Amino acid sequence: MIVADKNRDARTVAVLAVICIVLQLALAPNLGLGNGRANFALVFSACVALTVGGRRGVVAGFVAGLFFDLSTTGPVGLMAFCLSVSSYLLGTEGRDRMSGDLMFSVGAFAAASLGVSFVYHLAMLLVGQADSIVDVLFLRTLPTTLLTIVFFLPFAYYFSRLRSSGPSLGRSRGGSHLNTRGL
Amino acid sequence: MPLTSGGRPQAPSLTNSRQSTGGRALVICVVASIALFTVSCRTGEDGPLGVVRGAFQTVTSPVRYLGATVSAPIQGLGNIFTNLTADQATLSELQQENDELRARNVELEESEQTAQRLQALLDLRDANSLQSTAARIISGASDSWSSTVTIDKGTSSGLSVGMPVTSSSGVIGQIVECGATTSTVRLLADENSSISAMVQSSRAQGMLEGSATGEVSLTLVRTSQDVSVGDVVITSGLGGVFPKGLPIGQVTSVEKNPGDLYLDIVVELYARTESSEEVLVITSLTEGQQASADDIAEADAQESTDTSGSASGGQGDAGTSDGASAADGSSE
Repeated sequence: MIVADKNRDARTVAVLAVICIVLQLALAPNLGLGNGRANFALVFSACVALTVGGRRGVVAGFVAGLFFDLSTTGPVGLMAFCLSVSSYLLGTEGRDRMSGDLMFSVGAFAAASLGVSFVYHLAMLLVGQADSIVDVLFLRTLPTTLLTIVFFLPFAYYFSRLRSSGPSLGRSRGGSHLNTRGL
Repeated sequence: MPLTSGGRPQAPSLTNSRQSTGGRALVICVVASIALFTVSCRTGEDGPLGVVRGAFQTVTSPVRYLGATVSAPIQGLGNIFTNLTADQATLSELQQENDELRARNVELEESEQTAQRLQALLDLRDANSLQSTAARIISGASDSWSSTVTIDKGTSSGLSVGMPVTSSSGVIGQIVECGATTSTVRLLADENSSISAMVQSSRAQGMLEGSATGEVSLTLVRTSQDVSVGDVVITSGLGGVFPKGLPIGQVTSVEKNPGDLYLDIVVELYARTESSEEVLVITSLTEGQQASADDIAEADAQESTDTSGSASGGQGDAGTSDGASAADGSSE
């Protein structure tokens, strides 16, 4: 039996949140692909959903989405809705789905990213903040999805390789499973 | 010692058997999101969410500034990369645009300088209450023996022979030929030019005459007069052609030879036609711009004083005032 360290999860989420907040505010506005901008709120919520999942994942998605909404000029609540649903879907299965399974986590994230971007920009079209469906699909949804996936890769690599094989988890290197080191 | 049993790919943990998949949290979050979305769409930026967003933007602005500062060099690298990978058509288009902008820049600078010159002319006209017509110098002398310029106004604009011409910096000359649309102006440096002038500080009267070498001298100024280098020479108004008090130039040398009755005074003109494009043609003089009876009497007094103080040269002195008028008139 492994006694999971809830404090380690909390520290991981906190550090991840700080990193994504800084990236969302400082990097995302200055790095674009066409009209697309990386969505680090989605990266954060997906990481939490895939590693912790459940209720905490949904709440993390909602908070991250709210943060995203407040940092942009779009309607408040739209990204919060999208990330709440996507976090729920990503976190419905077992915990630590990113551990040792890079391809799965990237694939799941890509689908979630595409869905979130499409729904978000479609809603923007419906509320009159976009001009055409072509604009929504090809100039905003796809670049945003692609850029967000690219920036998700380092996080996915960390959670699937480094974090799972590192001494902090102590799963296969021997020693105690009660190690409480986090990030 | 590991507490897990071997062979199982993933060890169970305490949190793995969490009781909730987040369904209830999802419902709450979705309801909250829809409520926020509805309020946001209905109230816009004027509602409470707009206030919250404003406060949020203010709080997070330092991080944004930091990001913009850090990413500036990276964006510069991006521009370099874009330039390196730009195709020939793009480069040609940019080159053409650059040429057009450069030409436009020169054009605007030229317009600015023209505006400044015209403003200076207006200032001169206002300061001296001149009744004048603006004209533009369109060419220089077409021959090698006269110093003249051609302006783009003629009799159709009310100009006539004899009218004085000035730029913003000083007197240029006098119209000697007048066509319908153009006029020829004899410059002060011309050999045949002669106008009455005086030294501003000492009020010493004389004749400003040009020469073949282009040197301009102030003649008929008695050696007893006080003239020094740096004195300003202005029009005296005697003769009734030039208005009184227009700047002409500056004394650059004064020579007093023993036995001479007059000083050798060289004047450097303020106005240079090479740098003047817009000029004012003075069409008429008001009463206040002409030399008054007192000025004429003062000029005569200078001559008579000099005559009484000198044994010779009485005829020349006697003719100075008249000569000034005559010379002024001759160049009209």
